This record gives sequence, C-alpha cells and structure tokens, in this order.
Amino acid sequence: MPTRVLAVLIVASCVVATTWSGIQLERTVGGETREKELLLLPNGEHLKIASLGQAPLLADLIYLWAIQYYSVYGREDRFRYVQHIFGDVIAELDPHYIDAYWMGALILIVEAKDLDAGLELLDQGIESNPDNWILPYLAGWECYHADQFECAESYFAHAEKLPGVPVYVKRSRIGMAAAKGDLRRAYAMWLDVLQDPVADAGTINIAERQLRHLKVKIDVEEIQSWVERFRIENVRWPSSLTELVQRGYTDALPLDPLGRPYSYDGSVGIVAAPTDRILPEKS
Amino acid sequence: MLERHPSAAAAIVAIGLNTFREAIRDRVLYLLLVFALIIIGVSRLLSLLTVGDEEKIIKDVGLSAISLFGVLTAVFVGVSLVFKEIERRTVYTLLAQPVHRSHFVFGKFLGLFAVLLLNVGLMSAALFALLFFRGAAPWPLLPAVLLIAVELAIVTAFALLFSSLTNPVLSSVWTFAVYVAGHLSWSLLTLREKVPEGFARWVCDALYWVLPNLKRLDLKAQVVHGAEMPDAYVALAATYGLGYAAVIVALACWAFSRKEFL
Amino acid sequence: MASGNVPALEIEGLHKAFSGHLGIGRHPAVVDVGMSIRPGEIFGLLGPNGAGKTTTIKMILGLLRPDAGAIRVFGLPCASREARARLGYLPENPYFYDHLTAREFLDFYARLQGIARSFRRDLVDQTLERVGLGGRGDAALRTFSKGMTQRLGLAQAIQHEPDLVILDEPMSGLDPLGRREVRDLILGLREAGKTVFFSSHILQDAEMICDRIAILKSGSLLSAGRLDELVSNQVRWFEVTIRGTLPAGVDAGRPAGREDEHLVRVPDIEALRALLDRVREGGGQVVSVWPRRDTLEDLFMQRIGAEKAAHRESSRA
Repeated sequence: MPTRVLAVLIVASCVVATTWSGIQLERTVGGETREKELLLLPNGEHLKIASLGQAPLLADLIYLWAIQYYSVYGREDRFRYVQHIFGDVIAELDPHYIDAYWMGALILIVEAKDLDAGLELLDQGIESNPDNWILPYLAGWECYHADQFECAESYFAHAEKLPGVPVYVKRSRIGMAAAKGDLRRAYAMWLDVLQDPVADAGTINIAERQLRHLKVKIDVEEIQSWVERFRIENVRWPSSLTELVQRGYTDALPLDPLGRPYSYDGSVGIVAAPTDRILPEKS
Repeated sequence: MLERHPSAAAAIVAIGLNTFREAIRDRVLYLLLVFALIIIGVSRLLSLLTVGDEEKIIKDVGLSAISLFGVLTAVFVGVSLVFKEIERRTVYTLLAQPVHRSHFVFGKFLGLFAVLLLNVGLMSAALFALLFFRGAAPWPLLPAVLLIAVELAIVTAFALLFSSLTNPVLSSVWTFAVYVAGHLSWSLLTLREKVPEGFARWVCDALYWVLPNLKRLDLKAQVVHGAEMPDAYVALAATYGLGYAAVIVALACWAFSRKEFL
Repeated sequence: MASGNVPALEIEGLHKAFSGHLGIGRHPAVVDVGMSIRPGEIFGLLGPNGAGKTTTIKMILGLLRPDAGAIRVFGLPCASREARARLGYLPENPYFYDHLTAREFLDFYARLQGIARSFRRDLVDQTLERVGLGGRGDAALRTFSKGMTQRLGLAQAIQHEPDLVILDEPMSGLDPLGRREVRDLILGLREAGKTVFFSSHILQDAEMICDRIAILKSGSLLSAGRLDELVSNQVRWFEVTIRGTLPAGVDAGRPAGREDEHLVRVPDIEALRALLDRVREGGGQVVSVWPRRDTLEDLFMQRIGAEKAAHRESSRA
C-alpha cells in the first residue's frame, strides 16, 4: 500500500534527521560535563539534579536567600559557608551568574577579611566565564587594595587580553603601577568604568562599590594627614575630629559615602572608617 | 446514493479540532494557566529582594513557569483526554469509521499541541508584557520560548504513547520519568566514565542517545545572560526535537493500532 | 441496494479467549462460532448476559482480534477500511463527547465519513428527525437522557446510509415507546434494503422483527436459523376462559381472578370444539379462547435445559 510505504519513509527520515542534528549538537555544545574525581558529587551537583532543569531559577532563589542570610550581622561563624554557598552551590547551578561570584568574593574579602578565599571564588568565576572582563578586573583591584601588586598586575594583564574589553581596562595595568599609593588615580579609573555608556547593571554596581571603598580610603588618608599636622603643631593628638574644624585645619569633616562620620581614637590618634559593610544592615 | 469520500487529511483535521475544543474545556488547563500567570506576577515582587540584576529573577521565574506548567499541562491534559475516550467508550464508534487508527493518534497530537502552543503563547505574552513594562527588551527570550514549545511536543508525544499502552496513573508517571531522564541525560556521560569498560559503558551510551536530550532544548540560562549561541543552534535543536517527537508519535500510532479494547 | 450472493456478514470458526486475573489461566469467551447473514435481512444474535455477544461484535468491528477464525463484511476483511465504510455501529451503553451539541456531534461523524460540506447540514438535520431528536439539534450532549443518547447513537450509525448496520443491545435502557421506535426504525432499514445485525438478551424484541437468529451461550452457538423454522407455529394448547357454571367433569383449572370465571386448558382443536359445545349446553359463557404457540423463549429454555443436562452428564461421567 503506497500510503504505508510513505508513512514508513517519513518516519525513517525523521529518525535520520533527529540523529544527525543530535550529532551536530553534540559536537558544538556537547562535552559540557565537568570532570569530577568522585561519582558521589558534592551538594552543588545534587541540587542541579534535583532542580530538574530549573537550575538557573534555583540559583536565583539561593542567591536571594544568601543575601538575606548574610545581611544578618552578628551571626556566629557567618563566613564558614560563604565559599560553599557561592562557589559550590550557586556556581554549580548557574556558572554564569556573575553577580554571585563578586558578591561572595566581596563578602569574603571585606567582611571576613579573607583575601585568598575571595580571590579563589573570583578565580572560579573567571574560569567559568572566560570572556568576562569585570571579574579579573575586580580581582586585580582587590589585590591592589591589599597592597599585593604582583597579583594585581597579573589579573590586569589577564583582563587586558580579553576580547571586547573596554579601552580603559587596557590602561589599568600601567595606571595601577603608577597608582601605587595614588588613590585618587585609582578613583578616576573606576569613574571611567561607571561612566561607560555600554556598562551593564552588574558592572556599574561593582564600580560604585569600588568608588565608595576608594573614597573612604581617600577620606581617611586626608583626615589622618590633618591629625598628623595637628600633632606636629600641638604636640598632642586632637581630642576629637571636630577640634580639627575648630582649629581651622579644615572647613568641614567629610562623611563616608553612606553619610556616617569617621571614627577617631584620640589616645593613639588613629582615624578609621565605620565598619565596612557589603550588604545593607538588618537586625 | 450518498456520496462519501473519506480522506485522511480531512479526518485528521476534524479530529484535531475536536481534540482542541475538548482540551480547551478542561478545567485543569485553566488552573495551571492561572497559576503560571500568578507566579509570573509574583516574580516582580521577588525582584525587589535581590542585589544586582532585577530583571534576571523575572526572566528566570517566567521561563521556568512556562516550561514547568507547559509540561504539567501536556501530561495531565494529554493523558486524561485519551483515558476519558477509552474509559467512556467514545472511541468505539470512532474506530468504526473508515479512518486508520493512526490518523486518530496524529489528529489528537495536533489538537493537543495546538492547545499547548496557545498556553505557551499566553504565558509568554504575559512575561513579555511585564518585561516591556519595566523597560527591558524581551525579544532575546524568544529562542528559549521556541525550544520550550519543541520540548512540549516531545512530552506530549510520550503522553500519547503511554496512554495507548497503560492506565492513566502509570502513563503520567512514565511520561514524567522520561521528562526527568531527558533533563538528566548529561549525567549519563559522567556515569559512563566511572563505569568499567564493556557492556555497562555500552548501555550508558545507548541510553544517552535513545533518551531525548532535553537539556539541548533548554536555553533558559543562555538567553537570560545574553550569551552568544553557536550559529543556527536554534534551528538544529528544533530539528532534533521535532524529529524526535515525530518518531514518538509514529510509535504511539503503532501502539494504538495494536490495541485491543476489552 | 445490497444484493447478490455475497453474504453481508460472514463469520467462520471464531475463537477468542481472555487472560485470567494476573495473567493466570485463560477464559474462553467465544468458542467456534460461525454464522452467515444475508443481505437485506434482520438478524438477531441472542443469548443471556455474558454469552459472548458483545465480544463477537467487537471482533467484527476490529476492536478485538480473534485468536482464530475469519470475519468478512460483504466479502471484505472486517478490519479493513473498505469494510468499515460499509457499516454503521452502535455500541452497548454508548457515551459521547460531553462538550458537543447533537448537531456538532453528527457533523463530526459526517466529516469522518467524508461527506462534503454542502450536504452535511441537511443530512444532519434529516438524521436528527429520523431518530426523533428533531428539535434537539443545539442541545449539549451532557444534558441528554439515556434514551436521547441511545437515539443519537443510532443516528451516527445510520447517518451515512451504510449497507450493514450493527447494533449492540439497541433497546437497552429505553422505555416501551422508545423500544417501539427502535423496532420501527430497524424495520424501516430493512425496507430500504439495508441489512441489520443486532444483539439482545430480550427475546420478545427479537421475536417481533428478526428474520433469522442465532443463540449464543457461554461462547458457543446453541442454535441458528430462520425464526419460523426454529419456532413452529403449532399450537401447544388452548386456554379457554369460561364464565358461569362449569360443565360437569371438566377440570376447574386455575382461577382467572374473577369470582365467576374459570380457566380451562384443552390440548387440541377437537377437545376445544367439544368443550365449547358443552359450555353452550350448560348455559355458560365463553369469554375468550387463546391459542398457546411456541415462543422463542420456549426454544431458548429448552436448549439451555438440554445444555445443562448434557453438562451434568459429562461432569458426572
């Protein structure tokens, strides 16, 4: 019966088309599997399995939860699991979730004061997103803030080579060398990033944070210089920062980017910024 | 003498339309649709809680809702329609008509798929409208939505296949099992490396190629992050998916042709 | 108009057994059944519930596959499209798509039969009239009563004017008026030269309209043949109702419910004449005379009884 033959032919050609396109897809995108040493995979992989194909959504939900969790200051051992949550779970569910990498890294560096752990997380992000320039750029700056200039230089070199990177990033390595100690120069470089018309929301966020961080440092340096001058001229530390204003060393005291005054310990003459927070405070 | 010219095309269209009209009246369909729309709306609220890209949450929730509720609709409405027909013996008089049994299955498939496309269309329209409202361009999401529709074609085909073979509870379970296995087929590649050479490895390979690789039809992460896809990826993936669905529909036709009605 | 030597329906050596519970054992449903239905006749497939009538009919329609045997519709293999194009079918206790109206329902079936759009509307209206659903074209099927559903089922079976109409328990669930209408419809079909094959467990319905019958019990054929050959027209006895005084020496018989009436049974026409004379002489009144003829039920009970006896014999042996 001709119709039966026709039907068989159609089905056969569907099988061929499916198999051929399957092979093509395998070649281009296949082999996305991760090499792991153990078959019993850590929690990230388990979650990915449990998510049934809704992994990016699950990454979002965990990220949201993590932000709420880490906003509660004063929890014991808050930082023990930052790497696990951001680096293992979220990164596993959605390896391209850039926000998670830098947020986690900043929590580690600024709040837990663990530069190495933060850099490790950024490294993970860089490895999963080889075309992303903001992560190595940020890593470079964090090294710079910690005065680790070789480390910074290698990150900037890495960032420079990426395709499609903005012009000012190319200047960063040279600029940073010159900016060793020159915070205002660094501030200007991040301002470039902020004002770049094609920067996305995540990059702008990072730039804003860096600028705030630098402003604090600049302010502290500036106030500290006035304190030193006072001491030289008056053989004692000023009793408070307002005394600097009263005695005419400055017209007004700068406030930190969140509008809070800088703290000062009169017994040893040290100016400090109010506690560094990455996330909005929650009680 | 009454003039009669039974034709396959006319029969398939008639059955497809009838199935479409019957499915449209299924209350489960509306429940699922309303749920999906609510969740898309709620994503707007969730986006207020995040730090970073707010639209990402809306896009993720939206695409996941369309995909998940699409699958639920495909399974429940698909299985129940066939079950109702067989249980209530509506099918007896139909099979007495001068129409091949396979035409019925194919017509049913087209009718169901049309309902699912309508569903996906409505949910996408809601999602796109929400994104428009917030000033974000929704068009990059289109390839993901297209491939979700292709994924639903595969799930519907399996629902029809299993409905011809067994009772509705088992049909639903089996169809879900295939859906889950399809999303996890990538893990077979990992498993393959851990397993000793020989037969076991061959089984892993065979399973990997036979099961539908639904992850290839999943562009949710890519479109939300605006990643570059290789050339003609969507066309290739759609060919793969639709071809696969066609083969399963053919299998379902064959199973239904062999079926005995006790 | 179907004519010629080709039987409208021919069944040969049909066997079907079903697997038992959990796949253990096999229960025979139809055992070596065969019959031949001529074009233009009304054929009744009779038997108690569970005899295998519906199973046989399902095999004619291709809903079940026989284990052995062959079924041909006008010489064509029964499961083929060509065969199905020549028949119409009403299943037992039919159920139809709730969401359609009667008109939409019949239109759908007309489409499947390949009837052109220009003819469909009128055909549907005519068919609705034929089955007595004239004004209900736009009513939704979910509002239909059992009787209305049955009529609609008949409608889709005859709409396309098939040469062979197969009805499984067409009178079930109908009130006496409905059954009368179905009987008339079947007679009308024969009038138009169609062949009707129907199954029933109600013998009286078959007796009224069938040309030929087959009796099935427990999957086997008990009898088959022309109704007037199987069931003779001979009178078994006469029942005479007499009012007034009984002639002397007559068996009183069973009281007829009225004080002054008696029921007397006489074996043949000679005895009847003798009784009538004596009643007249005695001054009594003959109210009625009723000849008791063989019915299908008698045949049936006789055959079943014989079956049971044979069964007892074999189990004792």
